[in-house]
Amino acid sequence: MEEKLVCVLDYGSGNVGSVSNLLQHLGINTIISNKEKEIQKSTHLILPGVGSFGSAMEKIRKNLPMTLIEDDVVYKKKPFLGICIGMQVLANYGFEFGKHDGLGWIEGNVEKIDSGDNPLPHIGWNNVTSVQESKLMMGFEEINDFYFVNSYCFKVQNESNLIAETTYHKNFASVIGRDNILGVQFHPEKSQGAGQKIIKNFLEYK
Amino acid sequence: MKNEMKYCRKCVYPFATVNLHVDDDGVCSSCKTFEAFEEIPDHFWDKRKERLKKLIKETSDNNDSEYDCLIPVSGGKDSYYQAHIITKELGLKPLLMTYHGNNFLPEGDSNRDKMRHVFDADHIIWGPNIEVLKKLNRLGFKRMGDMNWQNHCGIFSSPIQVAVKFKIPLIIWGEINWDISGMFDPNDFMEFSARVRHEHDLRGYEWYDFIGDQDDKLIEKDMIWAKYPSDEEILEVGVRGLYIGNFFKWDPNEHTKMMQDKYGWEEARQPFERTYRRMSNLDDRYENGIHDLMKFVKFGYGRCSDHASKDIRTGYMSREEGIEMVKKYDHVVSSDLYYWLDYVSMTEEEFWNIADTFRDPRVWWIEDGMWWKMNIWGGSSSYGVVHLNEKQIKSFNKKQDEIT
Amino acid sequence: MKKNRVIPVLLLKNGWLVQSRGFSRHQNLGNPIDAVKRLSKWASDELVYLDISRDNIYDTRRDDQGYKNISSFLGIIENISKEVFMPMTIGGKIKNLNDIEDRLLLGADKVSINTEAYNNNKLIEDAAKEFGSQCIVVSMDVKKTELGNRVFTKFGKEDTGYGPLYWAKLMEDYGAGEILLNSIDRDGSGEGYDIELLDQISSECSCPIIAFGGVGEWEHFKEALDKTNVDSVAAANIFQYTDQSVYMAKKYLSNNGCNVRKPDLLKI
Repeated sequence: MEEKLVCVLDYGSGNVGSVSNLLQHLGINTIISNKEKEIQKSTHLILPGVGSFGSAMEKIRKNLPMTLIEDDVVYKKKPFLGICIGMQVLANYGFEFGKHDGLGWIEGNVEKIDSGDNPLPHIGWNNVTSVQESKLMMGFEEINDFYFVNSYCFKVQNESNLIAETTYHKNFASVIGRDNILGVQFHPEKSQGAGQKIIKNFLEYK
Repeated sequence: MKNEMKYCRKCVYPFATVNLHVDDDGVCSSCKTFEAFEEIPDHFWDKRKERLKKLIKETSDNNDSEYDCLIPVSGGKDSYYQAHIITKELGLKPLLMTYHGNNFLPEGDSNRDKMRHVFDADHIIWGPNIEVLKKLNRLGFKRMGDMNWQNHCGIFSSPIQVAVKFKIPLIIWGEINWDISGMFDPNDFMEFSARVRHEHDLRGYEWYDFIGDQDDKLIEKDMIWAKYPSDEEILEVGVRGLYIGNFFKWDPNEHTKMMQDKYGWEEARQPFERTYRRMSNLDDRYENGIHDLMKFVKFGYGRCSDHASKDIRTGYMSREEGIEMVKKYDHVVSSDLYYWLDYVSMTEEEFWNIADTFRDPRVWWIEDGMWWKMNIWGGSSSYGVVHLNEKQIKSFNKKQDEIT
Repeated sequence: MKKNRVIPVLLLKNGWLVQSRGFSRHQNLGNPIDAVKRLSKWASDELVYLDISRDNIYDTRRDDQGYKNISSFLGIIENISKEVFMPMTIGGKIKNLNDIEDRLLLGADKVSINTEAYNNNKLIEDAAKEFGSQCIVVSMDVKKTELGNRVFTKFGKEDTGYGPLYWAKLMEDYGAGEILLNSIDRDGSGEGYDIELLDQISSECSCPIIAFGGVGEWEHFKEALDKTNVDSVAAANIFQYTDQSVYMAKKYLSNNGCNVRKPDLLKI
């Protein structure tokens, strides 16, 4: 069996450390990098992220070798997991502090959560419910709380890309995916047991 | 000023006292917690007793065993008081349990063994093998300046294991240990916890820190008594450790008299050399002796400061009298030292060579080959020859410069 | 639906974990790290870790124990981040963007700012822009005065002259992601939260409010969740009184109909 090597993409986003700590805690070979050679060597890529859509995209374009990564992920089908902002940038456009271009790898836009009377940002533990079967959500029982910190959410264009939803006044996408390209709105590295399971499931993708 | 020793303005504790906090008004946390307990009017103690009864009823609903509770006992005046409250005032059937660290004074042995004669209770004694204990005495001393680590570990580990094994959900402890530093207040209703055990009783060490020494070889099987059950095991039985001192007013001098009159409890046959009290610590000859001497060697105060501070608060003694006691007793090198050296086969020189490595540079300084510190009665005095080599002295002085 | 968070708060004073009462009386509980391990084991929802030292000396005054005596706050955070298994907010002595960045790099997920938000309003605005609102918690301490409730800074010593509602809304406008709302009068009293205060602020603000100050029983958490719109309930002292405290709190709240995570233990 091929030895797994996860690359946590480093583009100047604050939480590469926590993600990498979790992976190491699970005994997985991990590197934090933005270097072409190391990205190529890896079997799995994780794009973490905190902050706003626009500033994240700016840093991504500036600090990551996007041509290589796009080739690896979109064409060579390397398993890819975007976390929080890392999931949101997969969209066509994001509307936080103005309109910004995303990567466009999964059709859809990122808009402000309609939270009704509930406070924003949406901070804390919330339930994630599958709407279709997926390897990423395998083995979870009904009640699954994950840790979220977001004011914006992903509106998918194609229902087939929606894997799981979360309710906060209305439902919003908490897990999306298209083949090997996956995104989670919550923070697996902060979600204790449930988060560890998500990461383990992600590593099952080839 | 370097090595300045400040003292609580009410009792005789130095600011250096372990775990003590002193607020801006110059009164220490130990005094304040005592005052908080004193402020409780009598009828509130009745309410607190009712609260205990309610808690006991709560745990008894989950109680699969035949015993109503487990009382960790040493045979001391406190143990007698706990057993008295549980069996006579509350009419319950406890299981008494003693950790035997092999340091009992003869009158301590006799008090301990008398318990099941005078109380309606069964009694389990768990004593580790003597060679293991001797090794732990040496290792504890070398590693952390405390030959009695095994005693603290045993007392706060083995009873909880027994409670889990016998499925007894209630453990009754005695004095709030932490009123010695004033960590908690009466209305906190603080209970026994793994964190407090690990940090304060065991000082951050566990059984696995003592395995693998080249000279004093120990293996995991030697340390079964020293282990603490997991959270999962504790929650399954629902074990809780309550302190009698939270529910019944604690007065050691009064309790001693009561236990002597009612049950023939015996105080120390010989006076202790390092304190004026005779009713404390008969279960361990070193607790008032060289174990406590090490506290003086480290932090510059001893058991007599503890006792005097308590007695000043309860009005048995004035602060001036307390200071006189401290002057007389805190620094004494007691004769149990020689008993211990023989027990663990160490020489006096080896003892001091190791002991001196634990002197705290915040309290002590070296002058003309002697140890010096400030005194509570004013001025400073020397307290013995420095048993460190040149390299160690340099390192001590360097540390002192860094800290102060 | 999103659960209400139950958040343990740890108070650090000169290298000691402490209890606090009325912002003026403190009691040493132990070293800064062990309590974090226990809270992690009990699957706490989050951790708030506040440095309330009045100066920069961190010293547990002994070097003979099984853990290091760490002499700087950043050193302490570095060690904590190895033991913390839940989102962590670090507060205390934050004066500028560099201070915030230092803490985030050492493992904090959010930072909490109190006095400096008053000394320099722009800090909150700049911090929210630089790091995102969701990273910025404003902590406010409220005391009753003859003129009504007032926000105090500098460890509860200086009256800002502002009422809490005005201050909370101002901070929200500047970009605070959450507000940690503390009652100085209730601090360490065990008498319960200041429900009126919590109700007032939580019904007018649109960002999450975290209740703090005065918890003496698990029932007090329920009271705040039932009677006000607070998003989360926090406490410091009470979680240090009993073993498996967080587990027992969540058990009580779950059994009594509160919208909280079920009690759990992590395999650590």
